[in-house]
Amino acid sequence: MPVSELISPSPAVAAGKAGEVVVSVRGLTKVFKDFWNRPKARAVDRVDFEVRRGEVFGLLGPNGSGKSTTVKLLLGLLNPTKGHIEVFGHSPRHVQTKSRIGYLPEESYLYRYLNSRETLDFFGNIFQLSKADRNSRSEQLLEMVGLGRTQMRPVGEFSKGMQRRIGLAQALINDPDLVILDEPTAGLDPIGCREVKDLIVALARRGKTVILSSHLLSDVEDVCDRVVIYYGGKIQAMGTLKELLAKPDTLRITTPVLPRETLAKVLEIIRRDLTTGEVRVDNPTQNLESYFLDVVQKARAAQETSGAQSGARVAAYLRGGVEAQPDSEKLLEKLSLPQPAARPAAAAAPAINVDETKLTALSQPATAPVAAEPAKSAEVKPEDLSKADEKLSSLLGGKK
Amino acid sequence: MQRILAICWLTWKAALRFRLFLVIAALLIVAVIGLPLVIKDDGTAQGFTQIILTYTLSAITALLGFSTIWLSCGTLARDIEECQIQVLATKPIARWQIWLGKWLGIALLNAALLAISGACVYGLLMWRAAKLPPKVQQVLREEILVSRGSAKPSTQAADIENMTDEALKQNLKNHPVDNPKDVVEMRRQIREQVKATLQVVPPDYYKVWDVDLRKVKDSLQDKPLRLRIKFNTPIVGATTTFKVQWGIGQVEKPGWVSDVMDLSADTYHEFAIPANLLDSKGFLTINALNLNSTALLFPLDDGMEVLYPEGGFGMNFARALGIIFCWLTLMSAMGLMAASFLTFPVAAFFSMALMVVVLSSGTIAESVSNGTIAAGNDETGARGHSSSDLFLIPFFKGLLVVTGLVKNFSPVDALSSGRTITWGQLGLAFGQIVLLVGGFFVLVGMVLFNRRELATAQGNQ
Repeated sequence: MPVSELISPSPAVAAGKAGEVVVSVRGLTKVFKDFWNRPKARAVDRVDFEVRRGEVFGLLGPNGSGKSTTVKLLLGLLNPTKGHIEVFGHSPRHVQTKSRIGYLPEESYLYRYLNSRETLDFFGNIFQLSKADRNSRSEQLLEMVGLGRTQMRPVGEFSKGMQRRIGLAQALINDPDLVILDEPTAGLDPIGCREVKDLIVALARRGKTVILSSHLLSDVEDVCDRVVIYYGGKIQAMGTLKELLAKPDTLRITTPVLPRETLAKVLEIIRRDLTTGEVRVDNPTQNLESYFLDVVQKARAAQETSGAQSGARVAAYLRGGVEAQPDSEKLLEKLSLPQPAARPAAAAAPAINVDETKLTALSQPATAPVAAEPAKSAEVKPEDLSKADEKLSSLLGGKK
Repeated sequence: MQRILAICWLTWKAALRFRLFLVIAALLIVAVIGLPLVIKDDGTAQGFTQIILTYTLSAITALLGFSTIWLSCGTLARDIEECQIQVLATKPIARWQIWLGKWLGIALLNAALLAISGACVYGLLMWRAAKLPPKVQQVLREEILVSRGSAKPSTQAADIENMTDEALKQNLKNHPVDNPKDVVEMRRQIREQVKATLQVVPPDYYKVWDVDLRKVKDSLQDKPLRLRIKFNTPIVGATTTFKVQWGIGQVEKPGWVSDVMDLSADTYHEFAIPANLLDSKGFLTINALNLNSTALLFPLDDGMEVLYPEGGFGMNFARALGIIFCWLTLMSAMGLMAASFLTFPVAAFFSMALMVVVLSSGTIAESVSNGTIAAGNDETGARGHSSSDLFLIPFFKGLLVVTGLVKNFSPVDALSSGRTITWGQLGLAFGQIVLLVGGFFVLVGMVLFNRRELATAQGNQ
């Protein structure tokens, strides 16, 4: 189950549109020009949007649609041709405002000759953190991103996935209020992807604002409250995922396995009230990510790895200073670790039409050996999740 | 400051991790130790020491100069090309702080390398000097391994201009000239004649110089002085020597020294003069009687110089390194400025081209002196003319003023002739080279870097 479904909606969503505007973009246009100042490419074309505090905002679109250009404009790395950008009420070039921003670029553009510890220490210095803070945060971040055991290796020797991890760590060294992540899961293995998504949700819980640029639909779907879809430099669609994805004229009911007779009765009742439309009955399936994470979790329990470790624990200072709570940490760890069977029907496989033979098959419990354990997890009661959610929320700063 | 120091530390780290520091340090040490093994000298300890100083310090300046330009262009341009700047610039650090941090980092790197190589040169000189016979050591410590003040007779610049104007007025009265260009040329020729009369000592004539030593009169009690002279003759490539009778001090007063010497033309000669020959006001009077059948010409600027002991060699050597450091700091500002708007190879090429302009200022000066960039006719004496003179000559004049601010310091020459580089000269060098000219490059570089879009480059790590 995606973390976003385990916990309550992020503060911005809960607060509706009344939240503080963190990023405001109006009429933003970026035209790249050649040496002779002739227009070469219109990367972003009259874009308007606002991002509010605590929101996880997704920039979605195919390659070359203008997502990364928008991000670079937001960060002041490019100058807009037209339009206006405000970040925390200031220009993107305002130096003090940058102390509230964390940025992970689409590639890990870090100094190859520095090791991961030095990298974090260097950026900590830029944020004018004290030595003690730099040491403490570096320690926690390296643990969080699973690089605790490779602190002395130069970043240039890292694999792409490890570089993404250290890149993510440097983006969080200042405990930013606004985190801008450009393709954060690119190059990461599924565990890393899941951890990043957990982290994004955890940050949003604390009222942090996250802007996520990605062309990976599952990333955006799992964590974003609201998205814009780019194509050709223009916004083609914008809204909450619910607004964009919901089909108001259809309904899905999910139940434990029912006896054949009960299922037939239910279908009979439904058919009696329906004059048009199709009725589908199927077994919900977990998606590949959940299945994979379950397998790896079991394997990890059995053996060590020489590569990047799975962090699976958000750095304490990013959780809002709850270091001395081992039980709570365990809970957080549990919640942020994969819970594959809890993934709901949202990720279900395509439905099949109802016929008698399939109805018989569907009325039998699934017998696949690996699916057995997730099915057990699926028995988590809503009340339990609610309690866990409350506890997690309090850990993350009490923001709901 | 923490941010600037962090960038400075990063520059050091890069130089160390890429082994740049070690390689340059090794090259410098090899140059310092290896050069004395292969260079030829005149066989005297003084000549050998002078050559060691000149060659090793020039080699250090050249090697560090090139590495500085390379490093300064690379440290910024490559950060932009490899996109690391995209992460750095999104942190709370102003772009001018990034620029300044890199400049400071390179400056400290140069200071360290200069200190290492300078210490090697100094150690080598002292070690070799210690192995010489005591008498030779004594001469060496009086002439080269010493810090000596310098006093020269007045160049009589004002007198020359006054005499030139007077003669020109007389000439124009007798032979009126209408064309203003001809008047300018006439004045130039008269001026050269006036200068010649002040420089030339005809056969059997003598010339008197009064050297003003009033400021240091008290400190020169009982201290022997040295005279450094040079003269030219009309005989091109003269290989014979010329007899000059020198008289030093007040004529027929106690201490008056007179001696005849055989000296070669077109070269510097240095000899000792006894202590306490100054008059009561602090002037030293020098007479030179030309005992030859040909005229001798003592140049106004460097024909006559009195050198007196002022301090130790060590501190003088450090001040000379200080001036070289100012040059290197300017080069790093130049490289960073170029890298602020150009890619790495282009920035390096651009900086080298600027260096060439500075080094070729002799040619530019000649054009300015001739008033044209076109060649004249030596046989007819006709001067050349080019339509671009109108804007190029004023531009060259400005360029000469700027390059003069940088080039008008000769730490290596001063050291090899044992002359003092004063704290004032070092301060002036810092002001002119680092603050004024370097400051211009810093300002332009920061403005360009601040305006530049940093995310147009695609990463090529």
